[in-house]
Amino acid sequence: MATRAQPGPLSQAGSAGVAAVATVGVASGPGPGRPGPLQDETLGVASVPSQWRAVQGIRGETKSCQTASIATANASAQARNHVDAQVQTEAPVPVSVQPPSQYDIPRLAAFLRRVEAVVIRELNKNWQSHAFDGFEVNWTEQQQMVSCLYTLGYPPAQAQGLHVTSISWNSTGSVVACAYGRLDHGDWSTLKSFVCAWNLDRRDLRPQQPSAVVEVPSAVLCLAFHPTQPSHVAGGLYSGEVLVWDLSRLEDPLLWRTGLTDDTHTDPVSQVVWLPEPGHSHRFQVLSVATDGKVLLWQGIGAGQLQLTEGFALVMQQLPRSTKLKKHPHGETEVGATAVAFSSFDPRLFILGTEGGFPLKCSLAAGEAALTRMPSSVPLRAPAQFTFSPHGGPIYSVSCSPFHRNLFLSAGTDGHVHLYSMLQAPPLTSLQLSLKYLFAVRWSPVRPLVFAAASGKGDVQLFDLQKSSQKPTVLIKQTQDESPVYCLEFNSQQTQLLAAGDAQGTVKVWQLSTEFTEQGPREAEDLDCLAAEVAT
Amino acid sequence: MTDVEETLKRIQSHKGVIGTMVVNAEGIPIRTTLDNSTTVQYAGLLHHLTMKAKSTVRDIDPQNDLTFLRIRSKKHEIMVAPDKEYLLIVIQNPCE
Repeated sequence: MATRAQPGPLSQAGSAGVAAVATVGVASGPGPGRPGPLQDETLGVASVPSQWRAVQGIRGETKSCQTASIATANASAQARNHVDAQVQTEAPVPVSVQPPSQYDIPRLAAFLRRVEAVVIRELNKNWQSHAFDGFEVNWTEQQQMVSCLYTLGYPPAQAQGLHVTSISWNSTGSVVACAYGRLDHGDWSTLKSFVCAWNLDRRDLRPQQPSAVVEVPSAVLCLAFHPTQPSHVAGGLYSGEVLVWDLSRLEDPLLWRTGLTDDTHTDPVSQVVWLPEPGHSHRFQVLSVATDGKVLLWQGIGAGQLQLTEGFALVMQQLPRSTKLKKHPHGETEVGATAVAFSSFDPRLFILGTEGGFPLKCSLAAGEAALTRMPSSVPLRAPAQFTFSPHGGPIYSVSCSPFHRNLFLSAGTDGHVHLYSMLQAPPLTSLQLSLKYLFAVRWSPVRPLVFAAASGKGDVQLFDLQKSSQKPTVLIKQTQDESPVYCLEFNSQQTQLLAAGDAQGTVKVWQLSTEFTEQGPREAEDLDCLAAEVAT
Repeated sequence: MTDVEETLKRIQSHKGVIGTMVVNAEGIPIRTTLDNSTTVQYAGLLHHLTMKAKSTVRDIDPQNDLTFLRIRSKKHEIMVAPDKEYLLIVIQNPCE
């Protein structure tokens, strides 16, 4: 019998399904439709999908990776070499080269024989030559007018109504210092005052703000800068003390003080001057003069104390009788000294201006003891050697000429300036500059015939004796309301500058015209002629 | 010795002469009529200036040489007579 296969479900390729199941027609016994046992039958197709990877196909995904870019940077390091160096300025060593005594004499003689004729010929030609008559060269820009460069003031001092009592330029010529005080108080005062300094070479110079200010418990009446140390300044107070400050130390500027001992002045100090120590030319002492008649020489020793090394006292009876003085001495009257000036030619010779109006020629080497009962640790000597004819009133200022050893000027309350020669008592000339007091007179450091005077009418007068001996060449009005000008100083390093201080508390720095700063060809000779007019 | 002295005295006593000095080839003053510090200053400065003047003249014309140097200033005239070994410096105040 034939069996019929029932078609089984066919499976599709790729499915994970189960393979088709073949249905097996169960052979049944003979009967109607059922095949009998042991008979062949065909069954459906059974298929099994292949599991092989090659048939299934390659399954892939795309992935990528990328390294980030490398960041680079350049840096360098360098080890530095440090070297320490220091700079120190030293005080100049005085030159002392001796010409050698051993040299070849015959060769020197031969040389001189060779050149003598030539030199003599040139000397003769020069003596007769007029080639350079009237030939002048201008090296610097000509300044025609006198102009005010700076107007300096310290407002707290001006608010107290203080006057500028003294001015000083320092050794380099770049700093000007002024002292504040009052010149018209007749009695003791406990007025606080100031010493102010302005550095004119600084670019940020503010006229109302000094670069250094020192507060002083008493009025300062005179000021002097150290001749070689640019920041040391000495001042004399109303109380008679002498102080030395160092303006470069702002927190504690006081270097030395005399203190109030038996040695100090009992009257206000009129002037202080720095003097080189005899024997040590680079160390300096301070000399102070006051109206109590004493001239004292102080030396700074350790611990900030100024010690008296030498002293002089002026007593009326001991004054040389070179001129007739109106006052007759009774007892040991002191002669008040109001101004001092040292000669530039003889370091031991000085001129004192007195309250009595007569200048005195004095010497540090005087040996005679002074007849005074003032207590002192050092014996006081009488310094006066010569008395000159008096002014009509007290002298406020004296100045020795830097160009001639015998000439000096004195100015006082009578409004006159006297030009004295040290060889005779009456003055060579007497000029009336003002109807009011004259407070200061100074020779110019560059022109032998020029001097400046400060008057009580508020002007500074510049005199050129070459041009006119009667009236001032230039009159500079310093104050508008005619309040007096109390002090003036020439700047010896920058010779065109002149500083003047007045009663309103301002310091004005004037720039002088070129005619006052350049020496003419024959001035020294003219000065000699002037000095030679000594009455015989 | 007297020869040297006489010559120098003759020059010094001429009209208007302020000072005379002889300087050797290194710039050290040998004889002088002025004071020490002034002499040293003049000697050093004028020695340099004379060397400079001599080299200027020689640079312009190598066949030429410096024979005399005169400096005129406001106040006086300085004359320098140069030589191989010495310099004679005379300072004169001219008449005007």
